[in-house]
Amino acid sequence: MKGLLPLILGIFGTFAFSWAGLTLIPNAQIGHLDPQTDEEGLDAYPAPKSGLAVRGQQVYAANGCVYCHSQQVRADYAGSDIERKWGERRSAPRDYLFERPVLLGKSRLGPDLANIGKRSAVEEPEAAAAPAAAQPAPAGAGASAQPTANASAPATDVRPEGGPAPAPGAPPAASPAPVAAVAAAAPNTAAPVTTVNGEPALYSTAWHHRHLYDPRSFVKHSNMPAYRFLYEKRRIGGEPSADALQLTGDDAPLEGWEIVPTYEAKSLVAYLMSLDQSHPLKEVKNTTVAAPAASPAAAPPTEGAAK
Amino acid sequence: MTPAEIPLTPPSTAAVALPVENGVTRSDVEQVERALIDASTRVPVLIFYTSAIVWLLLATLLTLLASLKLHMPDLLGGVAFLTWGRLRPAQMDVMLYGWASMVGIGTAIWLMARLSRTTLRHPLLLVAGAGFWNLGVLVGVIGILAGRSTGYEWLEFPPFAALILFVAYSLVVSWAVLMFRFRRSESIYITQWYLLGAFLWFPWMYGAAQIMLFVVPVQGVMQAAVNWWFANNFLYLWLGSIGLGTAYYTIPKVIGRPVYSYHLAAIGFWTYALFASWTGMQRVVDGPFPAWMITASIAAAILAIIPVATVGLNHHMTMRGNFPLMRYSPALRFTVFGAIAYTVFSLVGVLISLRSVARVVHFTEAGMAYTQLGVYAFFTMVMFGAMYYIVPRLVGREWRYASLIKLHFWASTYGIGLMVLMLFAGGMVQGFDLNDPALPFSETTQTILAYLRGQTLASLLLAVAHFVFAAHFGMMLFGLGRTASMPTFLNPQADDVGAHV
Repeated sequence: MKGLLPLILGIFGTFAFSWAGLTLIPNAQIGHLDPQTDEEGLDAYPAPKSGLAVRGQQVYAANGCVYCHSQQVRADYAGSDIERKWGERRSAPRDYLFERPVLLGKSRLGPDLANIGKRSAVEEPEAAAAPAAAQPAPAGAGASAQPTANASAPATDVRPEGGPAPAPGAPPAASPAPVAAVAAAAPNTAAPVTTVNGEPALYSTAWHHRHLYDPRSFVKHSNMPAYRFLYEKRRIGGEPSADALQLTGDDAPLEGWEIVPTYEAKSLVAYLMSLDQSHPLKEVKNTTVAAPAASPAAAPPTEGAAK
Repeated sequence: MTPAEIPLTPPSTAAVALPVENGVTRSDVEQVERALIDASTRVPVLIFYTSAIVWLLLATLLTLLASLKLHMPDLLGGVAFLTWGRLRPAQMDVMLYGWASMVGIGTAIWLMARLSRTTLRHPLLLVAGAGFWNLGVLVGVIGILAGRSTGYEWLEFPPFAALILFVAYSLVVSWAVLMFRFRRSESIYITQWYLLGAFLWFPWMYGAAQIMLFVVPVQGVMQAAVNWWFANNFLYLWLGSIGLGTAYYTIPKVIGRPVYSYHLAAIGFWTYALFASWTGMQRVVDGPFPAWMITASIAAAILAIIPVATVGLNHHMTMRGNFPLMRYSPALRFTVFGAIAYTVFSLVGVLISLRSVARVVHFTEAGMAYTQLGVYAFFTMVMFGAMYYIVPRLVGREWRYASLIKLHFWASTYGIGLMVLMLFAGGMVQGFDLNDPALPFSETTQTILAYLRGQTLASLLLAVAHFVFAAHFGMMLFGLGRTASMPTFLNPQADDVGAHV
């Protein structure tokens, strides 16, 4: 090559092309979105996160949750994300308006978390009545068994251990009926019932705390690390703390001691509970019939129908 | 004659004038010139190399621990700064910024000086650059381990560490570009195109990413777009350019014959700059982005077959008839391995970005296999090759033990081969499992545990390779190399082999 100028110009030109094409132009297209509202300008979605959840997002980023957990639901033709109940519709740019950092993730060594907060809301009313429908998974793993998981949440990551025992008897595909039944039986109470047989309901705040503290107490072969450094072990002075973890078995602290979440743990769980992309978006065709966001009671029959 | 006395006039006059005056041949002059250039680059390049190797060892240990923790999650579970989610970015960033960038810069400085036929002036500024770079990486890694990671992949260093890296970089790059400015060579060699490109692209991609993510952050998913635009360009246009440029130097140099075709090289360079820079969105196929962005990146990945094919063909034709030399020359053996891995890496990149394939392998360990192919099997192996060629010229000694070089090569080869195989096979299995909604999620992670154990074995092999190499390099550094006129061959040399090795 002869001249230096063409070389320099070419080096700059090719890269400017890529920079403009993949960052500047898309930024003009999707970089200035506004929350979606209905005709009256109400029901804005998405909404900014609470301060606690924003702090939790930093904890999530700092501890590298994103290297195992994605936060994006692909369309039904592009993967089984929706069938796995990770979301009711595909994710769209507008869902991430207020996310910073945006934590899409590119690995699923753990399940997708795009709707993890929403999933607890759906499950909690069901969980109240779960004992009635929990016959399929009574025994086996004893204290660590998750009746709610097997009965009412097909294809989630929680699976009762105990091999040949009752678990296979209730394959996930078979559960829509129980779900509907449970939902029908479940009173849509205002006060969420958070425990089932002394165990926290799936994806409830208490469940997340115990799961972060000891993932293998729920999923025996999980390879998620425990985040015990986000919890504090302290001596009970006077009254036990209201937010102390209800631990059993090996995890239980000695008499007179308790395990309480630090501020970081609380904010992390607040962040997880805030993850919810269930609100319909105009630009996304829902693959399942959209459930009106305000009435969770209507959701379960829809789920059943979608099957 | 001191380095400063090499005139800054065009080489033709200098080279022709001297023989007349002193009665020495032109080749003598060139040999002295090369020795002077090497002497002027000795201190900064060796500092970059030494730092890079120290980072490599740290990255090796972090990788090993992170790999173990994937299937032994309770190992050191209570230690906050060693939690897997911090080890993983720390390991990757030490590998990318500590090892790959530093060894790349060191090699690029040396190549630039040699190819521009000019000595390195004021090497102390480069030493300062190395110092700042080390500081930046150190601060960044401590930041990640202390829980200050930003959450953007490959940009996890806290912004203040990035600032230090930028200061270091400007010290380094200004000198490399200045050398190029004062070049005495008549033509610009292919390697110089790639190096110049890398030197000008890096501050752009790094600066743009830092500004668009931290200074005036873009909204929502655009952060991810900027993130992946940066990451793929870091891999292709920063490390990739240095790696390709180095291979274009090492292969012809060792076998002692010119590059097969300059035209092919030119096509390869420009199509590479044009297409490889557009591939970023291949990492988010089917993600929440306008479809055209992803389609553009997939198309770019497919079109990038053109530069891959031309570069591969060029290297192959240059090597033709000289493949037996790989039996002897460590530099050639590592470099050719890396050049072949580059082709594999690019083809795997095309494969996993096709929508039909991505629907299976996206979100699996296959993505990691792809990254490892690029960062290790291609770039790192080419750099090892270059170091086997360059270090003896800097310290004035030859490598001490052929057996250690062989051990390094085979441990690296089997290590990276096993790692890519495990991650890719594991990723396929994981992908099919994930797409079967009847299978509980926990099953999908359990099935790949076996592959993750295989990855640990691979990491162990790589650890052996790296510690052997570091020990050998240390011997060279402390003057324990062989004093010999002939380089260290891997095997006893047959008669028909040239002396360029």
